[in-house]
Amino acid sequence: MKSAQLEYSPEELMSEDSYESPLYGGDVLCHGGYINDQYISPRGKVRRPAIEAWRTRLTEEGQPLIHVPDAYVPPHYPNYEQAKYLMKEGLVQPVSRSLTTISILEGFGARIRDVALPDFDKEVVEDLSGTALAHLDKGLFEAHARDEAGHRDQGGHKQMWEAARDVGLDKPNIPGDVLMRLMGGGTSNRKAERIYPELSAQMEQTIISMANILVVETFAEDVFAWAMELLGDEEVSADPKLAAHLVDCVRIDEKPHVDYLTVALSELRGRTLISQDGKKTFEGSEVVDHIFSRLLRGSASNRPKEARERLQQEIHGQIQDARRAEKVSKHFESLDSGWTFPVAKDEQLEILTKAA
Amino acid sequence: MPKLLNRLHRASRIGYTALCVWLRYKGPQWWDRFRGNDPDARDMRGIHQKNADQVFNTAVAMRGMLIKMCQIVGTRSDVFPPEYVSTLSKCHDQMPARAFDEVRDVVESELGKPIGEVFAEFSETAIASASLAQVHKAKLQDGTTVAVKIQYPDIDHIIQTDLFSSRRIAAIYQRFDKNPMDFLPLLDELQRHLRMELDFRREVESGDKIRTLFEDDRIVHIPEFHHALCSRRVIVMEFVEGIKVTEKDEIDAAGIDASMLMPRLMRAFNKMILAFGFFHADPHPGNILVTKGDGGSPEFILLDFGLAKDLPDGFGMGIFELMFSMMTFNESAMLRAFKELGFKTKNDDDNTLIHIARRMVGRSDSGSFQGEFTEEMTDEMFDAIRENPVVEVPTDFVLVARAFSLLSGIAHTLGQSANALDALGPG
Repeated sequence: MKSAQLEYSPEELMSEDSYESPLYGGDVLCHGGYINDQYISPRGKVRRPAIEAWRTRLTEEGQPLIHVPDAYVPPHYPNYEQAKYLMKEGLVQPVSRSLTTISILEGFGARIRDVALPDFDKEVVEDLSGTALAHLDKGLFEAHARDEAGHRDQGGHKQMWEAARDVGLDKPNIPGDVLMRLMGGGTSNRKAERIYPELSAQMEQTIISMANILVVETFAEDVFAWAMELLGDEEVSADPKLAAHLVDCVRIDEKPHVDYLTVALSELRGRTLISQDGKKTFEGSEVVDHIFSRLLRGSASNRPKEARERLQQEIHGQIQDARRAEKVSKHFESLDSGWTFPVAKDEQLEILTKAA
Repeated sequence: MPKLLNRLHRASRIGYTALCVWLRYKGPQWWDRFRGNDPDARDMRGIHQKNADQVFNTAVAMRGMLIKMCQIVGTRSDVFPPEYVSTLSKCHDQMPARAFDEVRDVVESELGKPIGEVFAEFSETAIASASLAQVHKAKLQDGTTVAVKIQYPDIDHIIQTDLFSSRRIAAIYQRFDKNPMDFLPLLDELQRHLRMELDFRREVESGDKIRTLFEDDRIVHIPEFHHALCSRRVIVMEFVEGIKVTEKDEIDAAGIDASMLMPRLMRAFNKMILAFGFFHADPHPGNILVTKGDGGSPEFILLDFGLAKDLPDGFGMGIFELMFSMMTFNESAMLRAFKELGFKTKNDDDNTLIHIARRMVGRSDSGSFQGEFTEEMTDEMFDAIRENPVVEVPTDFVLVARAFSLLSGIAHTLGQSANALDALGPG
């Protein structure tokens, strides 16, 4: 039996399928394209099977995969019913704000190419050849960055979300304070505290960055469902077919990102990490699980709760300017499905899955 | 000196300087043509430098509007050669102060009382001085220590005279030069700036506005104004102490976490430029002091709001989109962003704007834009714009680019980077 290929060049991991026609978001050329009328993600010709091969190897080694259980994913606020109701009442701004913020955050995904990787040869005991980890700077990060922010004249997810917003909401006004909100309103940036000071800063930061992005990408599944339902609803969308399709294309593109980050972090779990001074070792599972759990809990509990409260207040502020404000406000609240993070503070998170 | 004599003296000194500058350019051109050489092939850097030095010396001697004019030239890398920009930008630093007796009358006439009635103490030595005003330390009757910014007594008159002379000289120059440079827009811009800056009530308003913008974020502190004692020509404000932002050794010695200086400073300026649309357009090191905040984190005191500026709606988003398009080498998005920001080409040639963006990106250290408008990139952009006079650059963009470039200069002094994109993420 022929063994699967596990080593790839950057050119292979960035290689494209032969598309029959390109994808356009309105008048913006986007990445990827169509084969047999089926949307195919960019830079996936080799990347898709490569990620699959690394994952299979991990499964064969009996390693579990790190993941975010569905129950931990906070639902989008306002939910589909609430957002649709607001739009029908002429209050489009909360939705256009959400979609604009998502597009900007997608664009920031390009910063993944700037992650300074540790010297894996020196800082990991075991050999890393034939792993996703060994290919992070050999095409995986670069492909991810280009998928998110676009590259040269091909739009990426940033431009696809903008296009979905513009075709679905018929070029809505963009709230002037989107960037302000993105910067976190009043808070100022603080120096991040080291979690494992004995490890190199690059090792710790690489794990944090990958874990963070994996959490965000997994949470995005719910955002895709919300946006596809809303922008695909002909009662409120100006172009339900195209707007929902663009979001679906982004959803399809994100799958390899979730997959390679899952595989790379899971590979690191199964290794032994060496401290900066070379005198101490750490089980990869201890470090990765701790950092991942910590980030996941922060992202799924307090942060969405605060964001939700802020948004709720803002939306009610806007409703006050609308006709029948009291009635609208009441009905809007009645559609709220609510959400609480299901794990208590002292309970451990379930972040591993056996199924590959 | 009687007013008329003073006016004649200033006009003749300004006229003499203008004549020297003109002859230094024209003489070699005439000589080259006489010898059959191409005047455009001559290296002009030495001549630019000599002229810049003479203009600087005249400005320092005559002060008033000339200093202001030099300050503006020192910010317009898009119009003037680098020799002028680097020499005349020195006018942003300390200028010699006037004697106390000269400014005392201004304080008393503006406050309507003798100094002794308002202040328990008033230092006769200025602690800072600039083109239009100087600052003294004083103590109010209730013991509060304050800084008093006093406009020079004759500055209105000097400015009127200098503006009149400058317009005359510009008109004469345009009449005698075959290919004259159009100085009138610069003089118009100068007049606009001066009208704003000469009314200190506007500066007080700007400071108050920026303080409001940061009311939930203690990262930036704006000295409190004693509004009842502020007028068109005098500002009385809280006396604040801090360390100049580029004094790294002093900052370290004070136990301030220097590694957070640029991330926090960029965040503060991002908030003003990209988010609030109102910003302090003159972030040179003398206008930014550092103090120790919670846990040793740096906090900033911003000074001098004479050049605070409102930006048009959507301008912040335009700058953000420009940075983003440069990061992803997306030329059509760059073009859209340039247009959104108000760039215009006289013949609608989009390639000129693309060429400018490519040159900027090409001058970054890595050959790609990662979020920092370095001085080199900004210089490259302004060089490209100067070489393509078909491009019209919005003044707001020039001021924003200059502010980011000044911040990049501060970052380099500190051995850090001034990455605007990094500083944009959630805190």
